[in-house]
Amino acid sequence: MPSAWGLSAGLFAATLLGWAVWRVFGGFPHAKRPGLVLAARELAFLAAAADATYPEGGSDLPSGTQAGIPAYADRYVAAVPRSVGILMRLLFFLVEHATLVFSAPGRGGRRRFSSLSPEQQGAVLEGWRTSSLFPRRLVFSSLRAILTMGFFSDPVVLRALHLGAKQIDSPIVEADLLYPAIGAHPRTIAYEREDLVARSGVPLAADAPLHPDHAEQMQ
Amino acid sequence: MSAAVEGEVRVFAEYERDFTEEADVVVVGSGPCGAVVAHELTARGKRVVLLEEGPPFTPQDFELDGALSMTRMMREAGLRTTRGTIIPTMQTIALGGGSLVNSAICVRPPDFVFEGWEEYAELEGTRRSDLDPHYDAVEAFLGIALTPDELQGQRNLLFRDGCDALGIESEPIARNVRGCRGSGECFTGCRARAKQSMDISYVPAAIKAGARVLTSVQVQEVLSDGRRATGVRGQVVEPFSGRRSHRFRIDAKAVVLAAGCMATPVLLQKSGNLANGSGQVGRNLQFHPGIAVLGIFPEKVDPGFGATQGYQSLAFLREGYKLETLWAPAAILAVRFPGFGHDLKKRLAQVPYAANWDAIATCHRSLGTVRARRGASLDPILTWNFDPEDAQVLGGALYQIARIFFAAGAKTILPGVHGVPDEMHSLEEADVLRTRRYAASDFVTASNHAFCTTRMHGDPAKGVVDPRGRAHEMDGLFLVDTGIFPRCTSVNPMLTGMALAHRSAQAVADEL
Ligand SMILES: Cc1cc2nc3c(=O)[nH]c(=O)nc-3n(C[C@H](O)[C@H](O)[C@H](O)COP(=O)(O)OP(=O)(O)OC[C@H]3O[C@@H](n4cnc5c(N)ncnc54)[C@H](O)[C@@H]3O)c2cc1C
Ligand code: SF4
Repeated sequence: MPSAWGLSAGLFAATLLGWAVWRVFGGFPHAKRPGLVLAARELAFLAAAADATYPEGGSDLPSGTQAGIPAYADRYVAAVPRSVGILMRLLFFLVEHATLVFSAPGRGGRRRFSSLSPEQQGAVLEGWRTSSLFPRRLVFSSLRAILTMGFFSDPVVLRALHLGAKQIDSPIVEADLLYPAIGAHPRTIAYEREDLVARSGVPLAADAPLHPDHAEQMQ
Repeated sequence: MSAAVEGEVRVFAEYERDFTEEADVVVVGSGPCGAVVAHELTARGKRVVLLEEGPPFTPQDFELDGALSMTRMMREAGLRTTRGTIIPTMQTIALGGGSLVNSAICVRPPDFVFEGWEEYAELEGTRRSDLDPHYDAVEAFLGIALTPDELQGQRNLLFRDGCDALGIESEPIARNVRGCRGSGECFTGCRARAKQSMDISYVPAAIKAGARVLTSVQVQEVLSDGRRATGVRGQVVEPFSGRRSHRFRIDAKAVVLAAGCMATPVLLQKSGNLANGSGQVGRNLQFHPGIAVLGIFPEKVDPGFGATQGYQSLAFLREGYKLETLWAPAAILAVRFPGFGHDLKKRLAQVPYAANWDAIATCHRSLGTVRARRGASLDPILTWNFDPEDAQVLGGALYQIARIFFAAGAKTILPGVHGVPDEMHSLEEADVLRTRRYAASDFVTASNHAFCTTRMHGDPAKGVVDPRGRAHEMDGLFLVDTGIFPRCTSVNPMLTGMALAHRSAQAVADEL
């Protein structure tokens, strides 16, 4: 039989563990759309980090979540090799939870990044960004790189910055008679020698139509 | 199965079982160096099999988004980095190798680079004049020409204006393109089919001349019998997933490794440390690290238009760096904008007014290694250390870029270096770029120009191959990628790699 002291110490330890687990894993909002690979808690962190990095307002550009950064990051993590994806998820975990140990400034600073106020989130990011320790700066730049790639995947952002890709009708060249699209069989090659088209060489006009992926979609 | 159809290309969907083939020469890797050798040997009537781990990309396979494109076209999804000083470095996995994603810059290094090679590596016959006929041949084949003004776009022309204002020599960049439209998207693949990447230039020509090209095949071992290389073996790999399936073996009288300076040493190490009596396989890794500076102009630049890289200055080569204009997918360049929050958004709103110029530094003192991993992976373990003196050279280059920006009329520059202001508004403010003592970690640098991991050397005890790429210690084994450079070229390496490969083809033919 365990002693009464042992029992209460065990109960205390279990409560502490439960509290710690809840602080790390619990209380996240449900993601509206389940991710390809990321869990709801990771998407919630990405939404917070996206809006802390690209807040709403201030210019014609959308906010981080309006630009679809969390969904993009999910797609990106799914596309990279598994080992790299794990590192990225560890990065998200680290920034989300570091404030449980190293408190953010102000009241209630010992909470997960996604639960902090926008001011506190800003202070935390600034701490990572300007740290004298290179690895801390690297954490910031790696996270920001992923968020920025997501931001620039949004056609709204690209159009606002005049960076939308132009429509280019690829000429048919000799090589197109040799290679099928990736994964397809050569019998799917649709071109014959008569289909060869000379390259245009005409500089793209500033007002040339945009590639359909970057053009404004008709409602 | 044993097949011997001449002049064909095979893709992933066609492999149904294990196979064995025979050839005079098997060439591993279809990047600029491998493609040239394969073509030249086929044109000399040799039976050539060219093996490439990546698939051929067609325009419908190109991905416009820079980061997602990297996950498809680059090894380790484009996130390969070194240990020691962390530097990202990209190697392509595609028919055509690096030529599919590169900016098509073709430069012959000046005489002094080759004189340095000769002295440093005890070489003979590697003067610029020795290589000029080979440069001529490659340039003629690919239609290499200077970028005309109408394709430059403001981003490139402003660089010229800034250089002119300061009396710094600059010039339009010569590129291997035909019918360029100035889309500035060389990095994600040329939808205009203008860039003469190997998959649409040398490889089709080799096929026409009778070469067999097998794509989606990963060479895992070089086979040998005593001192003689006898072929290679490996497995078919699925595009993107890299899943391995059918096994193959190619028996050949000569083996040419052109898998790139990261993969060739790994292949040799995985093949029982082949050709490594000198102990130099995988050593001496040199990069040509680059750093970019953004400049914001009062007038619109619309940096999305224009040749990806259209102007350069070789004026500072002897000081250890080259200056260029640069464009890349916005998502990748924007990573260089400092900060976050409203400040960052405000800065990003200035992108239409921005130009991006870079410096690449020679960095002879900064060395690293390439090592094979345990297990089946062929991804290398890379180590590299950025020498403090080389870092200082990059600092000097930053200052020159700042000068050119302000001379061209920029109102702000964003140097992107740790420890100095995020934004600078005058040359006086930028003076700190010249005077500061830098640590390697101050820079956000990257390098896709990599060399020397199987270097040529006149003394077999100090290098892996002779100046024609012939392995010192093996018969029938040639190495022809940028790994054989004895030192950095100080300019973009592709053309020199191709010129050396062009010359090596004759040496291979002579040995058969
Ligand atoms: C983004 C980018 C921009 C650049 N811009 C320029 C530029 O404008 N000008 C310039 O001069 N240089 C540029 N470079 C560098 C240049 O592209 C390289 O130096 C050049 O491609 C090296 O040629 P290579 O033949 O040695 O190797 P690679 O081009 O790397 O080709 C090696 C090939 O071997 C294949 N391979 C590797 N391992 C195996 C295996 N085990 N089995 C089968 N196949 C294998 C690879 O998939 C690859 O296709 C750039 C590079 C990059 C990444
Ligand atoms: S700038 Fe555009 S059109 Fe010109 S070679 Fe590069 S990708 Fe092709």
